[in-house]
Amino acid sequence: MVDAARQPLIEVKAYTEVEKVEGFVGNFKVTLREKAKYVRADRCNGCGACAKVCPIEVPNYFEMNLAPRKAAYIPMSQSVPLVYNIDMDTCIHCYKCVEACGPLEAIDFSMKDEFVDEEIGAIIVATGFGHFDPSPMEEYGYNRYPNVITSMEMERLNNSAGPTAGSLIRPSDGKKPQNLAFINCVGSRDKRFNESCSNFCCMYAIKNAILVKQMNPAVDVSIYYMDIRTPSKGYEEFYNRARAMGIHFIQGRPAMITEDPETHNLFLHSEDISLGKVVEHEYDLVMLNQAAVPQPDQNHMSSVLNVAQSPGGWFMEYHPKLRPMDSPTDGIFFAGACQGPKDIPASVAQGSAAASRASRILHADSWQIEPTIAAVWPDRCVSAQGKACGLCERACPYGAIDYEQGRAASVINAKCHGCGGCVAECPHDAITQLHYTDAQILAQIRALLATEPHKKILALRCHWCSYGGADLAGTSHFEYTANERGIKVMCSARMDSDFIYEAYRLGAGGVLYSGCHPQDCHYITGQIVGAKRAKRLETIFDRMGISPGRFRIEWISAAEGDKYARVLNEMQAALDAIPESDLLAEIERTRPEMAKRLTRLPNIPGMQKAMEQTEVLVNTMLSKKGVAA
Amino acid sequence: MSLSRLADEVRLIPGGENLEMCYSCGTCTSKCMIQQKVDGEFNPRRLLRLIAMDMREEAYASTTTWLCSACDLCYPACPQQIHISGVIAAAKKVAVQNGHPQPLPTATVNQQTCVACGLCKEACPYDAISLQVRKVPWRGLLPVAVVDTALCMACGICGAVCRSNSIGVAEKFSDQDLVENLWDWLQPEEAEF
Repeated sequence: MVDAARQPLIEVKAYTEVEKVEGFVGNFKVTLREKAKYVRADRCNGCGACAKVCPIEVPNYFEMNLAPRKAAYIPMSQSVPLVYNIDMDTCIHCYKCVEACGPLEAIDFSMKDEFVDEEIGAIIVATGFGHFDPSPMEEYGYNRYPNVITSMEMERLNNSAGPTAGSLIRPSDGKKPQNLAFINCVGSRDKRFNESCSNFCCMYAIKNAILVKQMNPAVDVSIYYMDIRTPSKGYEEFYNRARAMGIHFIQGRPAMITEDPETHNLFLHSEDISLGKVVEHEYDLVMLNQAAVPQPDQNHMSSVLNVAQSPGGWFMEYHPKLRPMDSPTDGIFFAGACQGPKDIPASVAQGSAAASRASRILHADSWQIEPTIAAVWPDRCVSAQGKACGLCERACPYGAIDYEQGRAASVINAKCHGCGGCVAECPHDAITQLHYTDAQILAQIRALLATEPHKKILALRCHWCSYGGADLAGTSHFEYTANERGIKVMCSARMDSDFIYEAYRLGAGGVLYSGCHPQDCHYITGQIVGAKRAKRLETIFDRMGISPGRFRIEWISAAEGDKYARVLNEMQAALDAIPESDLLAEIERTRPEMAKRLTRLPNIPGMQKAMEQTEVLVNTMLSKKGVAA
Repeated sequence: MSLSRLADEVRLIPGGENLEMCYSCGTCTSKCMIQQKVDGEFNPRRLLRLIAMDMREEAYASTTTWLCSACDLCYPACPQQIHISGVIAAAKKVAVQNGHPQPLPTATVNQQTCVACGLCKEACPYDAISLQVRKVPWRGLLPVAVVDTALCMACGICGAVCRSNSIGVAEKFSDQDLVENLWDWLQPEEAEF
């Protein structure tokens, strides 16, 4: 940290919050709130005279509230930059610090929060993780029993710079504990609180146990665990070292801690799985190895930065395997545990990766974006005629649409990721998606349904998930109906209702509307836009009297090849259950209704030509012997 | 589909669905009051393991299958949120369906005096009692209370609420036995400690 502060190209802005992020990759405009420290950074030399004279003492958050700090304080002794700060919530305005500061005149009570706008090329988010508070787990009695402490409290008690100068003592009586227990997975791997594994706590418990044992080998240390997870290089060896030192590993999750009210010793009740017996052991001190959870303000940061969150609340990466340090928004990167619980080596690796990804942007004159972005025909946009619309803006997960009533909407190319949500939402067909134009997709639909359409099932698949699922079904040799005809679009948000009307107008037997699961969507909220439309269509078709099995909405991930095959087979079975004459009658009955909804289509630029060419192509295909349409 | 595995059979019964979510942490066993006060061998974690590993005979013979009173102390403590008493009830049902004898006494109905008022059905904490039309000797076709032996835990609540003394756990716990023993039970016990 000191090195970073000394590097001339790095500016450290401590005690500063990000208020607003606008713009796009390479051209972010970030509004920062530089909070008032009431000490002028250019004058303070970090001598600490103000803290010495300050009469106010409040719990020190950095020491896990085990020690006091003054109202004039630095968060920790190695703070960078070394500038004191006055906590105005607790200050009593005695001004002793002003006297103590003397001729430096660094303390300035007139300071106010300042808002600074910065031009930023790339953003790296490294906001870290928060700690699970074990108080809601009543069985462990944290906050009720003084000698039950958390792992962070243990960290401070064990630290030579901590409140006890590195001597581990019991909070109840200050005595040195002789018999310690660590409980792993407190609040993690627990569906009541956090389902996920916190990744590093096994190693963390072993590390603390070894530290305690090194200080005093006579101390008895037991680690209660469900599974010990030591997957990285050198970790298993570390675990073996702990075992060799005589640290007890007890498999079994303690159900309850009780306390002797006089000695404040603790009794752990657990089943020792290896023995198959319920055991009760007495300990002087119990450490709860608390779960890593997202920062308390992670939701707020997520909305400021416009990056999505995974189900657990962590920031969501662009791709879990291929782009784990990129956010879905270009130019914003993640480093460390803000993206998911990580140990130090993984955080450092991700930090270095994020820095190198960011430097690519800083050193580039131009930036390549996805070629499948959206584009507006200004003459077709009703906003230009003064009408209120803005549906495209609402559908966009990236804020890439510049909409204002009175002029045609436009797409900010650098922000657009090409999901196509706006294209499908536009009721006036004023937007198109390059390489996925309406004309192209409708031509595909016509070609696929050229012969015996009532026997075909048209499957609309999204690029990232359900197309991958179909691909996996194929490579895994899962058998499914040969009547399926698939069309790939980028996102379920692109699946225009016109496509489905056209398919039914042509007489398609069934239509599958498929995409990612909501939490997996690669376009932040694209799936939600698609799902809403699909639900709407379902009611419309229901009212029209389309048989229930003929329209199906399914969310299929790229790993669910079996589900893709099963869904298609179920659709085929539903189709088979309808007598052919009934089906044909139903198609004839609904055809005018579908056609009525498609009257605008010929006016879409390029549509006429595409349809003519499709017809030529289909006719050529059909005239060739042995080519199935 | 033939169900050869015990785990599959248990999972199909409502309550038994989450059986294989168990990762054997032992929280349930160390929470269990029966384990602590009645039978040290009682071990829900091990029973779930026996079922998952398809050890049918051991699972049927285990006291855990039959003794669980569904107090559900373990349920809120389970980190995998498995409704353990539900799984155990499902295992019991499978055991009874497969012809394993119930080792505990269960409630019995005197069909001659039962008036099918339904009080016992309302009172039963295990939903073991239903009112069904049966052909009763001398009385003819009429509804009477019927006890599902796979669900009955022999708590005796039905016997306590019955107004016509038609239902109850007969063996050792009939109303008469209880009244006779009442005086003994009311005597102050000597303190253990």
